[in-house]
Amino acid sequence: MNNILIISWYTLREAFARKVFIFFAAISVVFLIGLAVVFSLINTDSILSSMNPSGDKIVLEQAIIQIQLMITAPLSNLCLLLAIFSSASFIPIMLEKGNIDLLLSKPISRTQLLLGKYLGGTLVVFINISFLILGAWIIISLKFSYWNLNFPIVILVITFTFSILYSVVVLFGILFRSSVPGMMIAYFIFLILSPAIHFIKLQLQTLTGKEVLKSIVDGVYYFIPKTSELMGTINSNLGQGKPIGDVQPVLSSFLFLILTLFFCDYLLQKKDF
Amino acid sequence: MNAIEVTNISKTYTSFFRKHKVNALINLDLAVPAGSIFGLLGPNGAGKTTLIKILLSICFQTSGTAKILNENTGNYKLKYRIGYLPENHKFPSYLSGGEALKYFGKLSGLDGLRLDKKIDELLELVKMSQWKNLKVKAYSKGMMQRLGIAQALINDPELIFLDEPTDGVDPIGRKEIRDILLNLKTKNKTVFLNSHLLSEVEMVSDRVAILNKGKLIREGTVKELTEKKHEYLFEFENKIDDEIFFNLATQFNLAQIRDECYTALVIDSAELNKLIDTLRAKNLFIKEIIQKKSSLEEMFISIINEAEKKNNL
Repeated sequence: MNNILIISWYTLREAFARKVFIFFAAISVVFLIGLAVVFSLINTDSILSSMNPSGDKIVLEQAIIQIQLMITAPLSNLCLLLAIFSSASFIPIMLEKGNIDLLLSKPISRTQLLLGKYLGGTLVVFINISFLILGAWIIISLKFSYWNLNFPIVILVITFTFSILYSVVVLFGILFRSSVPGMMIAYFIFLILSPAIHFIKLQLQTLTGKEVLKSIVDGVYYFIPKTSELMGTINSNLGQGKPIGDVQPVLSSFLFLILTLFFCDYLLQKKDF
Repeated sequence: MNAIEVTNISKTYTSFFRKHKVNALINLDLAVPAGSIFGLLGPNGAGKTTLIKILLSICFQTSGTAKILNENTGNYKLKYRIGYLPENHKFPSYLSGGEALKYFGKLSGLDGLRLDKKIDELLELVKMSQWKNLKVKAYSKGMMQRLGIAQALINDPELIFLDEPTDGVDPIGRKEIRDILLNLKTKNKTVFLNSHLLSEVEMVSDRVAILNKGKLIREGTVKELTEKKHEYLFEFENKIDDEIFFNLATQFNLAQIRDECYTALVIDSAELNKLIDTLRAKNLFIKEIIQKKSSLEEMFISIINEAEKKNNL
């Protein structure tokens, strides 16, 4: 365990040194300043009254939560894309000749090395996302004088979604010792495959017949991580303080994550350096 | 007791689609006595680094077994007792020399004041104390090598693998590294040295092995390998008279190399004694007799050429 923590800690330091934090922080600060400026320029009372003409307090709170989600949903997706980009090179750099020889000559197992690097990368992204989401939450809450305490849980959902996609990046990083293939596959899953399969599955449910096609789509659907649902419905439900709803996307995505990490470990154990 | 025992190790690298195969090591047997400095020599691609990597489980043998410090390789906890300086090693560039040692010290199970004290001691040993707080990315090649040696010694290992330790180091630095190695030997540590600089190996190694194309082609002490068994150098008080020299030259394969110095090729020690008796009978005053040796480099080149010729036949 100690070795995993050491590797994780030095991954954080590596991220600092490679300006990952500064890069993220700069984007976040620009966004938060922009948000604060926009809110100072617009009259939020008129927006709220147009959304809630009756002035009901519960409806008003719901309207504020909707505004929060409207602002942070695209931001979360952008965060995720940036997070994959900024953390993709941790594993390939570790596997470079000269680096890996030194690490493997120390009393640390390959599994510890993998988990340390993986957790370190996830921690880097967790810190960055926390900064941005908490910043946006504070500005919106101050502006509307309403503190939705459920909202920060969105940070965990985004980090969880990232950790799933990051396991794919790690897998391809081990296979090819390069960050590009893993990034491309992760972006493909997140931007195309997961939303498309989810959409096709919903469409097919309404049709009768086509059982073979349904089975194939179901097979693919249950195998791949459900990033679109995690970042969509589940993120929105938890942000509003509603129950998570269907837990299947969370569980099956978690299973995908575990299986991918096991496969990463298997490959790393067998690899010659 | 042997610190390293390698039995019938082979390593074959195969390409992704298994179309190309490279035999990096072929049925290699090797034993390294504990407490000695062992030099592994060989041309590029001989399999030297592959052997070290197999011993450290950085890569895996195709067949055969290897033991380090009486334990099978593969158990990562064995590395608490081992140090390694890889060839072309890379330290995290964002760390200073001191921080890099701290990182690898922590991974070796050290911490706190004990680690801080060890870092200072090692930086002093490799003459890098003044550069402790400088970022590694600003280090020269020689400084990196020195830091690499300090890193290899951070856990006070019983067995140290050094792959080209003097690469990029100036002559004074090389001498200092040699002294460090000899000092380790006095502490009963085993040093496994892999180097292209044969003169370096010759100066410090107790035993030497030569690898070529994955095969062990010679092994022994430096003295055994460099001895030219039947060639002797004679130095006389005066130059030998031409007539006497002509007679001796035909009888004993004597040749003049400079004024009072001559070489003689004899079949065995009986013939050597006969030559000495003859010289003394002619009242020639012998100042010195030295058995001729070749340098390790000469021997290495001749052995590799010999092996190449055999392969071509």
